[in-house]
Amino acid sequence: MATTRRQFLELVGGAAALATARLDTAPAFAQATPVRMGVLTIKSGIGAQVGEAGLRSAQWTTDRINKAGGILGRKLELVVEEESTPKDTVERFRKLALQNKVDVITGVISTGVSLAIGPVAEELKMLWISWDGTTQKGVEETMPNPRYSFRSTDNECEAVMASIVVAKNWKGKFKTVAGINPDYSYGRDNWQAFLWIMEKYGNPVTPVSDLWPKLGTTDFTAHVAALQQAKPDLIFSSHWAGDASVLMKQAHAAGLVGNTKFVFVVAGGVHETLKKSFTPEGMFLGYNTIYFDYADASPLQKQFVKEYNDRYKEWPVFECERAYLVTSAYKAAVEKAAKAIGGKWPTTDQVIDALEGLELESLGGKARYRKDHIPECNFYGGFTTYKNRFDFVTIDPVVKMTGPEVQKPSGVGLKDWIQSWKV
Amino acid sequence: MVAAGLQLVFGVQKIVNLACGSFYALGAYFGVTVVTRALAAGLPPPLFLVVLIAGGLALAAIGPIVERVLRPVYDRDESFQIILTFALVLMFEDITRFIWGSSPYQMGNVYLVYGQWKIGRLTVPVYNLIVIAAGGLIALGMGFVLSRTRFGRIVRATAENREMSEALGVDMRRIYARVFTLGTALGTVGGALVIPATAVTLDVAVEVIVEAFAVVVISGLGSMRGTFVGALLVGVLKAVAIAAYPELELLVIYVIVIAVLVLRPAGLFARAAA
Repeated sequence: MATTRRQFLELVGGAAALATARLDTAPAFAQATPVRMGVLTIKSGIGAQVGEAGLRSAQWTTDRINKAGGILGRKLELVVEEESTPKDTVERFRKLALQNKVDVITGVISTGVSLAIGPVAEELKMLWISWDGTTQKGVEETMPNPRYSFRSTDNECEAVMASIVVAKNWKGKFKTVAGINPDYSYGRDNWQAFLWIMEKYGNPVTPVSDLWPKLGTTDFTAHVAALQQAKPDLIFSSHWAGDASVLMKQAHAAGLVGNTKFVFVVAGGVHETLKKSFTPEGMFLGYNTIYFDYADASPLQKQFVKEYNDRYKEWPVFECERAYLVTSAYKAAVEKAAKAIGGKWPTTDQVIDALEGLELESLGGKARYRKDHIPECNFYGGFTTYKNRFDFVTIDPVVKMTGPEVQKPSGVGLKDWIQSWKV
Repeated sequence: MVAAGLQLVFGVQKIVNLACGSFYALGAYFGVTVVTRALAAGLPPPLFLVVLIAGGLALAAIGPIVERVLRPVYDRDESFQIILTFALVLMFEDITRFIWGSSPYQMGNVYLVYGQWKIGRLTVPVYNLIVIAAGGLIALGMGFVLSRTRFGRIVRATAENREMSEALGVDMRRIYARVFTLGTALGTVGGALVIPATAVTLDVAVEVIVEAFAVVVISGLGSMRGTFVGALLVGVLKAVAIAAYPELELLVIYVIVIAVLVLRPAGLFARAAA
């Protein structure tokens, strides 16, 4: 049967109405779809404690964002994958980007892993905001101007802070020093920064031993024996995971804790394992970007610390701050970018532009993403004390230093920056 | 002790048991749990060592179960054995993660309960000396059992010639189960003894296997006396390298492993095993 003109018009009209209806409902559908954030974190081994803390904080932040209405009305959802070796983590990064089709990838703690992730993020044009993996040297060499990768603070920030505090407080009280640091760029950069700063502060020191156990070592007996033999006035360590407390325990057992000064630049990341029974009072302990028991903390930090402790019966560490910063920064950047384009959902490039120069409040205080994709955060540390209600050491007084005080500016080498200081 | 367990099981059952590293890890985790609970229940701290060793020995009860799983591959190619025992390593790792979680595990403040011993300007925790003494006693005990007891004679006969032993009426299944359990106990007790001074993580099993293999390659597969000397050699060389030239800590062991493999592939003490 031939189609009449009326029937044809009805058909065309119906199709048009249907198409219009689809167009009308499309944005509503997009609004209902959750924003998917990939998270790569260490779940096993010596770094698991730190990785787990970061993940808990990312979840806390996500719940908080969702309770407040999500990101532009869309719920935030985490897709968690394990961070392990560089090769395997790169595969999981690709899976998150290509198979899970997440909107952004966060996380990564290991510097070695981030060195492998950086180029892949650029290749896939996938926005990656690192929690803690710092890729300074590698990225400077392979990708001087990353577009899709947002890094963490410089490797050496905590060493810079510790060295400044030690140089000022213990000037002239030590001459021989020994370093025991994890054998990769992080440990080596920190040790080098410490020596440069001692020189800058007119505190000439003689390194009598530099030991490089691999990250995750749980038997330091031979290293401790080597330190005993070297008899340094000061021992500098940038062990940051469960190995820090094992080192301290074995050093104490071998009688190394007594006349020797200790500087643990970032072991505050596993502070609850540093028990009073084997950790000395008066050693320098760095906590990185949050100190859980800070009297002058913001209401945000106090709320986080309380809820974290209520839920997990533990006190938060710096990886919590890193995960909070990154998760909140993504939300703030999306909202900032959307505002600039009339409330629409921004593209990845627009989110990146919004992240550059973004200022926000993190758990440790005010933070900012520089134009070169590196954040500036406050750093905390101090000398250990037993005067507290815990079975582990805390610090008193708490020293707080801002990002620009401990982190070199964009485009300047660390040594040149240190040498430019007026002390 | 892990290397000794590896040697014993290989010598008698001709199985390259990678799971010996898992027994060490399980011994350490289980040791933390039993000692922590015993102390919480009012155990006087100096008695923790007894509980620790008892825990390690009790855990060796998993030996016969694992041995039963391995039976189908006794007569198969070594690659099957390695794949199966490596699968066991991964399974034990997941079981450990399920029970104890993924964070490093440490024991409370009992490491220095026996005090420290000062020799000149050197301070040594007495617990370290106890562990060294325990290692020596276990080595002597193993030597006694293998050379002076009926069970030891049967074990050595089985290691020499399985078919002949079987023809002479030796119950091979029972011998295999006992030897494997003994090998398991060496691992679990070893892990338990070390944990008060250190920490245990999920990946410790693989690390221990690598070191145990270095010891076994140096000493020669199947040589128990060689294992004792090989373990001492690896430990001392590592300590000397750290004190003299830290960069060589790992390299020095593998240089020796390579040298042994090239110059004396059967191992330094292979003759002693025969």
